Amino acid sequence: MRLTHAQEAMAAAIEDQWLAAAVQTGPAGRKEAEAGVRAAYRLAGLPEPERIYWLGSPRAGALAASLLRAPTPGSPVAALDAGPVSPAAGAASDAAAGSGPAASVAGPEWVAGVHAELRRQGWAPGESGGAAVRRQVRTEPWAAARKAALAALGADGWAQLSAAAGRRSWGLVMDLIAGRLRLRLGEDITADLGDAAPAVRMPVLDAIYGQHDGTWLATFEAADRLCPDAGLMTRLTGLAEVARHSGWWWAFERVAVLTERPGLLERDNVGRLHRGEGAAMQFPDGYGLWAWRGMPIPPGLAAELPHLTLDRIRSEKNAEIRRVVLEHFGYERYLREAGARRLGTDETGTLWWLDLPGDEPLVMVEVVNSTPEPDGTSRVYWLRVPPETRTAREGVAWTFGLTAEEYHPLIQT
Amino acid sequence: MYRQGDVLMIPVEKEQVPACAPVPRDRRGRMILARGEATGHAHVVGGPGLALVADLDDPERMFIDVPTHGRVTHEEHGPISLPAGHYRVVRQREYVPGAFRPVAD
Repeated sequence: MRLTHAQEAMAAAIEDQWLAAAVQTGPAGRKEAEAGVRAAYRLAGLPEPERIYWLGSPRAGALAASLLRAPTPGSPVAALDAGPVSPAAGAASDAAAGSGPAASVAGPEWVAGVHAELRRQGWAPGESGGAAVRRQVRTEPWAAARKAALAALGADGWAQLSAAAGRRSWGLVMDLIAGRLRLRLGEDITADLGDAAPAVRMPVLDAIYGQHDGTWLATFEAADRLCPDAGLMTRLTGLAEVARHSGWWWAFERVAVLTERPGLLERDNVGRLHRGEGAAMQFPDGYGLWAWRGMPIPPGLAAELPHLTLDRIRSEKNAEIRRVVLEHFGYERYLREAGARRLGTDETGTLWWLDLPGDEPLVMVEVVNSTPEPDGTSRVYWLRVPPETRTAREGVAWTFGLTAEEYHPLIQT
Repeated sequence: MYRQGDVLMIPVEKEQVPACAPVPRDRRGRMILARGEATGHAHVVGGPGLALVADLDDPERMFIDVPTHGRVTHEEHGPISLPAGHYRVVRQREYVPGAFRPVAD
């Protein structure tokens, strides 16, 4: 089938709702999410889970999932169960910064926190949740719905609908949020848990993405709206209910592990995780991701950001970190205080040049926004351009992928 | 060549437009050249018979087909009139050593 403009707009509206769910912060809707989990099991032909555990972040959820995934005695995860206090790599710094050792549980303090939380909810160390049922609960219903949607809409209609209801989500949610979280979670677990890390990292790959699953659910909900008789959402209603109300989760035969959504999520104007004065994504149990314009930054650096100096910036060896501190300090201030050279001014703006010892030079165009602000002033902004740039015009042209000769806007606003 | 903030519209010959598919309209039925995710502001194009299309092989490469005339609007920038013709849409980028990235307008 061929979609009309109105049908495309309907699909885009559904995608907007799922995008909103994907960046939704605040406490999970536990009752609704649990009902969704039970429905997902039933729709997969499985008995409902006997118990549903709630954890405060995907990090805690991954650990809980690894503890419930039938740990065999002597495995590195079993050592996290009740082993002696033998801090793994990274735990030492945690203990130094934190408030005292972690009871009788090995590893950093948050591991003890997850144990305590699970126990409070009725878990006994050694209890197994059974085998993972992610395939039955998520993968198979998804594959079946996709097959049915293709049959109902035709290949062209399905492609058109996927573009209308899913194109933005993949980039915004999977690439810029869920993907970052997955990557960072793996790195943090590795840094914190030593020998036990691989076993705790595995569930990260096995997660059901909860609110981030809206990226693909949007397309099926839109398809269902177009073909109400094809039953395209029938087997996905449970998953959709969890996705509307909670964060990442894990499905096992006898138990499910659900997690909270972040309490805070801050992004910049193009959707990248971005915050200078704290974690850009912060979960209620304290787990957070620090990022500057999508670039993950070590939490230690964050504390330095308000007190940056020229010397501190100059001495930074890591180029990506240097970019973060430069942006935070402000290019204009840095160019001024570090004594940048003005290479020239033309009708497009002014080109500035600054040598960075041991690095490629910092070359920037200073541009005046063509449309005045409501108060009559004009906003000035800065664009970093390649170091070989020789004129402001060449620099501005480069930002649009053109040469200085090619770049001649007739009108600009 | 017309510029509205971080978006440039470059006239191209019809022959330079690759095989394309229509870019889906947003929920308000608008054709969007680029959007700010945090502000919700958008560069929107419209006009009689006007079509916003994307390269089948690279959906990020967009083109505008303007049969008679068109108009580009944005919440923070002045509107721009587009004469009949074909245009390639380019979003501004910024240099990052070893890579580049879009500008957050």
